[in-house]
Amino acid sequence: MIICLTSANDSGGEPDSSRLDRCLLGIAGEDSRALAELYDCTSASVYAFALSILKNTQDAEDVLHDCYLQIYAAASRYQSFGKPMAWILTITRNLCLLKLRERSRTADIPPENWEPYLETCESASPDDRLVITECMKLLTDEERQIVVLHAVAGFKHRETAKLLELPLSTVLSKYNRAIKKLKNHIGKEY
Amino acid sequence: MADKDTEQKIRQAFTNAVPDLRDSILSDCKTQKGAVIIMTDTNKKTLWTRRLAGIAAAFVLLIGGLAGFQVYRANYSVASTVSLDVNPSIEIQVNKKEEVLAVNPRNEDAKIVVGDMDFKGSNLDVTINALIGSMLRNGYLNELANSILISVDNQDPAKSAELKERLADEISAALKTGTFDGAVLSQTISADPSLKRLADTYGITLGKAQLIQQITEQSAFYSFEDLVPLSINELNLLTESGNLNLANVNSLGTASDKAYIGEEKAKQAALSHAGAAADKIARYEIELDFEHGTMVYEVEFKCEGFEYDYEIDAVTGAVLKSGKEPDDDYIPPQADNGSSSQTGGSSSQSDSSTQQTGGNSSPTDNSSAPQTDNEQSQNSKASYISEEQAKSAALSHAGLSAEAITEYKSKLDREHGVMVYEIEFKCEGFEYDYEIDASAGTVLKNHKETDDDYVPPQDGGHHSSAENGNYIGETRAKEAALSHAGVSADAVYDYKSDLDSDDGMMIYEIEFKAGSYEYEYEIDAVNGSVLKYEWDEDD
Repeated sequence: MIICLTSANDSGGEPDSSRLDRCLLGIAGEDSRALAELYDCTSASVYAFALSILKNTQDAEDVLHDCYLQIYAAASRYQSFGKPMAWILTITRNLCLLKLRERSRTADIPPENWEPYLETCESASPDDRLVITECMKLLTDEERQIVVLHAVAGFKHRETAKLLELPLSTVLSKYNRAIKKLKNHIGKEY
Repeated sequence: MADKDTEQKIRQAFTNAVPDLRDSILSDCKTQKGAVIIMTDTNKKTLWTRRLAGIAAAFVLLIGGLAGFQVYRANYSVASTVSLDVNPSIEIQVNKKEEVLAVNPRNEDAKIVVGDMDFKGSNLDVTINALIGSMLRNGYLNELANSILISVDNQDPAKSAELKERLADEISAALKTGTFDGAVLSQTISADPSLKRLADTYGITLGKAQLIQQITEQSAFYSFEDLVPLSINELNLLTESGNLNLANVNSLGTASDKAYIGEEKAKQAALSHAGAAADKIARYEIELDFEHGTMVYEVEFKCEGFEYDYEIDAVTGAVLKSGKEPDDDYIPPQADNGSSSQTGGSSSQSDSSTQQTGGNSSPTDNSSAPQTDNEQSQNSKASYISEEQAKSAALSHAGLSAEAITEYKSKLDREHGVMVYEIEFKCEGFEYDYEIDASAGTVLKNHKETDDDYVPPQDGGHHSSAENGNYIGETRAKEAALSHAGVSADAVYDYKSDLDSDDGMMIYEIEFKAGSYEYEYEIDAVNGSVLKYEWDEDD
């Protein structure tokens, strides 16, 4: 029996912090290659987190775009070495909350339209689409954010708790419940 | 299905579904940077462009206002700022007539150089001459450190360039009269707010900040912070030695490396450490570099089937780092075969890599070979390394030869937005798992774990998994977990174990089920203590 098929066990999708710190320093010096590298390493986490809050692919895409412009503008002020991912996702979260407020004013944007885009997204396989759909349908907003932060951004539960301003115990129990739900559904369909 | 697989699926799904905005973001950032905003971006977001347009309009008004204002204050307003950096950093502000308005020392050394001289109202040339004279007298410019950086900041680029050239020539001439030749770097500065912030953060002049920024842009090995404490002479040496081509920096003369032992001595130090004779080496390269806060000579050469790699302290000549590895391209001399492993190297040499030198078909040198015909090859652009090269990178990282491995699999894939080769193989009781950057060929991720299917060869009878150097072995780790859980070995089912490194520490990850519970443990692979455990109702 082969244990643990993939590299899933080495600290998840977390890109290594010192590499991100280097990128941010480069961006502060207006090096566009550093920005490109940062985008490559972190866009999945930013997009997934934004989508998990906004549940709307168009809005998530906007946030993804604006997030990197903000990073570009603010990189020279970035100081907290060692926690680049937390910094980036805090920016993401703030942009998402702005977006939600904006949306509540306009109210003409349908709140949950993640499906049409997914169907046209060529880079995602049918399986991928199914996984995302299940994440969207099965989980509550909080559960979804917690799962995405851990599984995609590689956050420790402690870090998730801090970012979402929730008690650690809540994060842990919600995570376990959420992953159990997903496991049952995703597992069955394979 | 384990939680981890579920997580992996989620990660994979989101990673693949990310819309590709990379180019659009890059071009928007460029637009944001310049003062002139070109609205070429079509699909993006009225809100942003409107906001940018607003900012641009305000900016234009501001500049216009400032320009008008300056007409009235031609005599008192700062027209140009000239900064001199050696290690003392001095900023000189002059008006349109090149009369000095203020001289600001930017660090302690600079205060010594300026002393109690008052330059207000004097001519710029006179001031600079006096300051250079003071630097020479106080020993800041000498035979060992002869580089000076002049940076000129003027609203008018033509004026900046003219002033820059004139001052560079003057200073160069002033230094020639001494007992040594000076090296003068000169540049114009674009007053850019982010650079200003950097300069303020580190307490250096805009000029030095711009020079460092250019070096870091050209060479990914240095970070801005690393280079701040270096003197201009050291920065100049790095630039020369790395053959960096800094746009908009002009250089006169060469930086002095007399404070260092010199290339010849560094070479001797490396050769004597390697025990290699100077006439036997090939592909010799040396470069002055800056690593971990010290100036070092990086020395590389090949000798009798090995590649050597040294870092020599540029001041003391001490060997800071040495590396030796078999040279895949090496063809041993015909006459006396089998001599390839007999160099007098003193560094340690593992068995597996020695055998690699013997009979390996050197997979690295067929870089021009056609791409292997796997299903991914239509994706692979010319800029990716070949699958063979990725394989050899993984093998050399694992220290294994191509013949020794079994069940080799490779796949070109996208992970975290980067194209990678995923390579898996087995060898002598272990499973290896690599991700190789498909552009750079570097090892991004590696993982080694015991192979449960492995049947050790009959004769040897040695037990594979328990023999991993200093680790307690999987059996003892299992015992530790079971006794902690209070579960007897025969009640256990669905048992899995895995040797893994977590935060730089080797651990056994153990998962099993007993009764109606699921257990997960992390056991310290060195002392066997339980680092983490979790149990949960099995569903």
